[in-house]
Amino acid sequence: MKKIFQHPARDAKPTLWRTQGELENSAEFNESLAREFTDAASGRDAGEGLSRRDFVRLMGAATALTGVGLTGCRRPEAHLVPFAKGAEWTVPGKFLFYASAMPTPAGAVPLIVTTSDGRPTKVEGNPLHPLSNGSTDAFAQASVLDLYDPNRSKEIKHDSLTVGRGDLDNLLAKIRATAGSNAGDGLAILVGRENSPTVERLRAALVQQFPKILWVQDEAISSRGAEEVFDAMFGAGARPACDVAKADVILSIGSDFLNPAESGFGFANGFAKRRDPKGSMNRLYVAENHFSLTGGMADHRLRVRASEYGDFAAAVAAAVASKTGDAGLKSLASAYKGTGVTFDPAWIKGVADDLLSAKGKSLVLDGAQQPAAVRALVIGINAALGNLGTTISVRQTGAKPAAKLSDLCAAIKAGSVKTLLILGGNPVHTAPAGLDFANLLARVPETLHLSLFTDETSKVTHWQVPAAHYLESWGDARSLDGTVCSVQPMILPLWNGISAIEILASLAGEKIDGPSAVRATFASYSKDASDAAWQTFLKNGFAAGTAWPLSAPAFNQGAALAAVQSAKGSASGEFEVVFLRSSSVDDGRYANNSWLQETPDFVTKLVWDNAALVSPADAKALGIKDGDWLRITAGDRYIDAAALIAPGHADRSVSIALGYGRNGVSHVMEKVGFDAYPLRDSSTLGYRGGVAVKALPKDAYVFARTQEHENMEGRNIAREGTLGQFREEPNFASEMDGELPKPVSIYPNPPLTGDLQWGLSVDLNSCIGCNACLVACRAENNVPVVGKDQVRRGRDMAWIRIDRWFASADHREESLEMIPMAVMCQQCESAPCEAVCPANATVHSEEGLNLMAYNRCIGTRYCANNCPWKVRRFNWFDYNERPLDQLYYGPLAPKGMADSLKMAKNPNVTVRMRGVMEKCTFCIQRIEEAKIGRAVKAGASDVTKTPLPAFKSACQQACPSEAIVFGNINDPQSAVSKAKADARTYSSLAYLNTRPRVTYMARVRNPNPAMPGADLVGAANRRNEHA
Amino acid sequence: MSATTSNETAAPDLSAIARPPQVLNNRGPLWVTDAVCSIVEGKTPLWWYAAISVSGAFAAIGGACILYMIVTGVGVWGSNSPCFWAWDITNFIFWVSMAHAGSLISALLFLTRQKWSISISRAAEAMTVFAIVCAGVYPAIHIGRVWFVWFLFPVPNSYGMWPNFSSPLLWDVFAVTSYLTVSSLFWFAGMIPDLAVLRDRATTKIRKFAYGLVSLGWLGTARQWRHYEMMYVLLAGLTSVLVVTVTSIVASDCATSVVPGWHATIFPFYFMVGAVYSGSATILTLLIPLRAIYPQLKELITPSHLDKVCKLLLMMGSCVAYVYVFELFNAWYSANPFERGAFWERFTSSYSWYAITCLSINLTIPQLFWFKAVRRCLPLVVVLAILCNVGMWFERFMIVTTTLTRDFLPSSWGNFHATIVDILTATGTVGIFFTLFLLFIRFVPIINMSELKAALPGSQPHGDSAHSTGEGH
Repeated sequence: MKKIFQHPARDAKPTLWRTQGELENSAEFNESLAREFTDAASGRDAGEGLSRRDFVRLMGAATALTGVGLTGCRRPEAHLVPFAKGAEWTVPGKFLFYASAMPTPAGAVPLIVTTSDGRPTKVEGNPLHPLSNGSTDAFAQASVLDLYDPNRSKEIKHDSLTVGRGDLDNLLAKIRATAGSNAGDGLAILVGRENSPTVERLRAALVQQFPKILWVQDEAISSRGAEEVFDAMFGAGARPACDVAKADVILSIGSDFLNPAESGFGFANGFAKRRDPKGSMNRLYVAENHFSLTGGMADHRLRVRASEYGDFAAAVAAAVASKTGDAGLKSLASAYKGTGVTFDPAWIKGVADDLLSAKGKSLVLDGAQQPAAVRALVIGINAALGNLGTTISVRQTGAKPAAKLSDLCAAIKAGSVKTLLILGGNPVHTAPAGLDFANLLARVPETLHLSLFTDETSKVTHWQVPAAHYLESWGDARSLDGTVCSVQPMILPLWNGISAIEILASLAGEKIDGPSAVRATFASYSKDASDAAWQTFLKNGFAAGTAWPLSAPAFNQGAALAAVQSAKGSASGEFEVVFLRSSSVDDGRYANNSWLQETPDFVTKLVWDNAALVSPADAKALGIKDGDWLRITAGDRYIDAAALIAPGHADRSVSIALGYGRNGVSHVMEKVGFDAYPLRDSSTLGYRGGVAVKALPKDAYVFARTQEHENMEGRNIAREGTLGQFREEPNFASEMDGELPKPVSIYPNPPLTGDLQWGLSVDLNSCIGCNACLVACRAENNVPVVGKDQVRRGRDMAWIRIDRWFASADHREESLEMIPMAVMCQQCESAPCEAVCPANATVHSEEGLNLMAYNRCIGTRYCANNCPWKVRRFNWFDYNERPLDQLYYGPLAPKGMADSLKMAKNPNVTVRMRGVMEKCTFCIQRIEEAKIGRAVKAGASDVTKTPLPAFKSACQQACPSEAIVFGNINDPQSAVSKAKADARTYSSLAYLNTRPRVTYMARVRNPNPAMPGADLVGAANRRNEHA
Repeated sequence: MSATTSNETAAPDLSAIARPPQVLNNRGPLWVTDAVCSIVEGKTPLWWYAAISVSGAFAAIGGACILYMIVTGVGVWGSNSPCFWAWDITNFIFWVSMAHAGSLISALLFLTRQKWSISISRAAEAMTVFAIVCAGVYPAIHIGRVWFVWFLFPVPNSYGMWPNFSSPLLWDVFAVTSYLTVSSLFWFAGMIPDLAVLRDRATTKIRKFAYGLVSLGWLGTARQWRHYEMMYVLLAGLTSVLVVTVTSIVASDCATSVVPGWHATIFPFYFMVGAVYSGSATILTLLIPLRAIYPQLKELITPSHLDKVCKLLLMMGSCVAYVYVFELFNAWYSANPFERGAFWERFTSSYSWYAITCLSINLTIPQLFWFKAVRRCLPLVVVLAILCNVGMWFERFMIVTTTLTRDFLPSSWGNFHATIVDILTATGTVGIFFTLFLLFIRFVPIINMSELKAALPGSQPHGDSAHSTGEGH
């Protein structure tokens, strides 16, 4: 995306000139001019965010990007204009909304982007998109911060010297010229997986022009292996399409399918739809090595080492085959050369019987990181169960496979790569250690890295090019089902970032002008390429009907058998190390995002670190406690990492999240976690068996966790029961309160006279604990990040937290259950915090909101002491104004935040200063906006009879499983009223008689009575108290 | 009252039941004046300079820490979520409670005409005032935005905002400010006749002027005495009420909350007895060494006086023990899992050693005072009294901080770790206390001479009993 407001073109023959070159307007002169007046040379300090002048210049509002329900359609220009000029379609202080999408390896996240005065400040899901229910995940929510990150790469550099855009263009022209002369020999392009049709189109164009070009695609955490099995079975480019909502019985073998980052969108929502105990509830079996989100939702969970997933799948396959007499499946099961480990036969039989009882309505899932044999077995089981064509279909993507990173390495070794353009990813950090990628890269005569940050790879390539963020560039991306989503720029590139599409287009000789490349792609796949259709594409954010066609898969027995036979068993006596996708930094790509670094891990509640997760039994055997160091040795490489004891973890197995331990890149990720990449090899991307683990006699590492006590201590905080219990006694949850004292209050409660009364309901049955609400709240409410040290001191500021409870009715790891519980301000009608505030800084509104008057707060902190839910957050320091590593320097520390970070703030929410208390407001800014909208609509008529414009709280809007419902409880028809009327609804700590406006709907598990330990399922509240 | 009668015909030997004299060795009024004034008038001893340098240094460091805290943020302390209050309120309660014994001794015992309290009342009152000053430091500075502390006072303002009268913290503001005002007035008023004595004995112009200024023109006329006595009785009455109310209000900070372990009706009594207990211990800690330094005080502050303070300590210590037991019983009897949990955690969590220290000291040490031998062995009394205050600090910490670390939702449980700023601020208040006390020793008669002289045998024209009407002078 180029700016249109540049210097006016010079006359061919200027009347005033400084040099002969200028008078002649020669090409040499123009080039030298461009080189001389680069951004660095024009007085901008690269280290210090945006200058004020840049800020004004860059605050552009996208124009032709027709907003949802807005009026941009008539403007044909496709340019960004400086906000300083004032754009007629904007109202200062009013948000504009544009459809866009965030490209991710799992498929685009369809988005509606909120822009405020030209600054994108918040993203929400695009409810128009068929896969999206308007929700997002934590990564999408946090991507806004990446855009404004002052640590972003800002200048084009060649051999560490800052150069101008002209130099880059010259380079690309040179590469193109060379490729033109030798058919692309020696040119290699490495891209990440962004599912962009335009990139694919440009790839085809490049391959056509330069047939010898090497096109490589790589992702650190890749589903490539799984896809190859699928290719072999169902034809090249076939991808599974699972419909979780259709499945009555689901077996997950190491698949964290409820995690959107892992599996794309649609799973959590589809699953949650089937968890209503009043409807037909599904049943979930999970076999996994570590507690995942999915494991937390399981009705029956088995701890299985990752290297034994195949054995487990084979055992289930054998059990299914013996029942159905399916010879094909039987041969698959017997062909699997496993480790010889055996599982509880009752467990296997129970699962197999249950799956068989739901033939055609069951689903067996595996993780994308697992070996081909496991996937083949799983497909075999699904085929035998008749699930192919019902719960599992296949989409024919027609994707042409690209070369792998190992192919690229081989080519470099052979000396056949002369120019390597790395247009995505950070392979120096993430490449499997065995490939020795960093050293190979040094052999390539010309290398270029396009990235958001000056990372490990940028540091060793000859050229470093700042990448444009998806919020500042044109693009497109396919979502999980293949539907093409538009990616629109919301703002001019803050630091002159360049998109991969721009680079590829220049290489392909395409002249790029705004969305031209994307538009050209649109014309290639859209039946209607008219302006109107293009506008609709932009307005809706996706092109309807572009999903890959579905087809019923035909099971290829031969291919499956071949894949199963490829399995290599590993000795079960050794440790294995399992590489996890981090819930905070993914594969490391979000390591500089402090919102995500401070978002607790789903299960361990660890922030600003990863850890080597070990089972309690292993910890005992190794003689370690939390924070003790482990040396994990695999082959000739080892890493040292601090251990964390993870309840529910499989024995003789260590799990460690990837993407941490990156030192020397930026201060944000300095001294954060441990790098597990050195243990990975090309053949062991998901897990690696045969590793040695030993405890190191070093001082314990200090972790920061937001929740350290995971046992409910017999208190009925998160409540759960079983489906049978629910059917017998639907209100079992509120029954747990026993006999409550008669509600009396010595103070008159604030009058609740408003016609709108706000309330919120959290359904523990669908809350998977995915953190989307946490990050959404942080983005919406300008919640500051406080850093590891402060979190360790118990000072995290998150307004909404997810308490993760472990419960085991018989105190055994085998029957351990996990219940995530979102806790935000309960907005008590009779609020303990209000009575004790001496300054009247926290008071009640007529609409049932517990308000915080920041200006009145003097910070006695009594309110927080008296809050039974401990949801109040105190600004112990000036977190917004002081560098987090200099909080203790007081006035000696520099004051103020980077200008670019100021741009990320929601202008409708006060940024709090030190010394004041803050907490969840139920997104009062959204409430007020809706009320103003209602009043405007009502005009002279009765405002209370006018319907309120639809709106959601930030947490509700982000929730992928629609577990959070917020709204007006005075309206019996509202979703929240209906949720609160549900029999499962209860108030936590009801006996205190604070009458919280937040209620919870108890979790109901659906155990299979035939399973071992079935009587221990759903028993989190079974009494085990000590006092 | 004292049993000396003028019955000359039958003179049974009543010495066995006679009250011990207030001043030993049959000293007369002049000796009392000389003995007390010599402390102020004599050359400043070397130990005093050394002591005030140390305490002043601690006070200055404490002050610097407070300044640092104010300009940087409350985060420099170890307070956190869930321990939003920790050493700040622990120390506040510790100091404000300590104050109470002084008021009890000087006011309540004055009103009930317990003459044994005369010789220790001045020092006890001084302790009260200085302890309130130390206590007052914390509520003023512990808040997040000190510069808005005036929001706590019902000052008419253009915002039309008023403080929240249902908040116990607001009650605290009134309680502590009125306590400081009344106890300072009471202390000062009691000193006026003595300051006049110092003025009259002054040998330098500066002393004469300074003591003349603070003695407010006291001449010792009958009319002045009459007004003075009336005022003193009234102030004593007010102070006596405050002895009970201030700790009760401070206890309301805990009692009116919903926090398990705080939410208990026994708290006002709990704090009150704990207060007098720790205050008695402090008086012993201060006076016994003082007697050693100034030998003349041994005749004024007699073993019998100290013995009575020890008995007071014993009684209050026993009340404290009763509260401990009752609290535990109540937690069990409530059958409330949160209450039970709070007390269970108090003794089993990582803070158990606080609770164990607190209980083992406060349940055992005061009980040693049942033995006369212990009460009369003054060095031992000092050691035990210091231990009692250590126990009380641990008790305050246990109540305030340990309770907060383990409340309703185990997910938000956490621990508190004191920072160096916490520690130096706390030692700073100790420094402030001792600095003020040293200044008190040096510049003010540390014994209420006028009252003591009035209690000497033969000083009352109509016999000792006349004193009890308050009109004996």
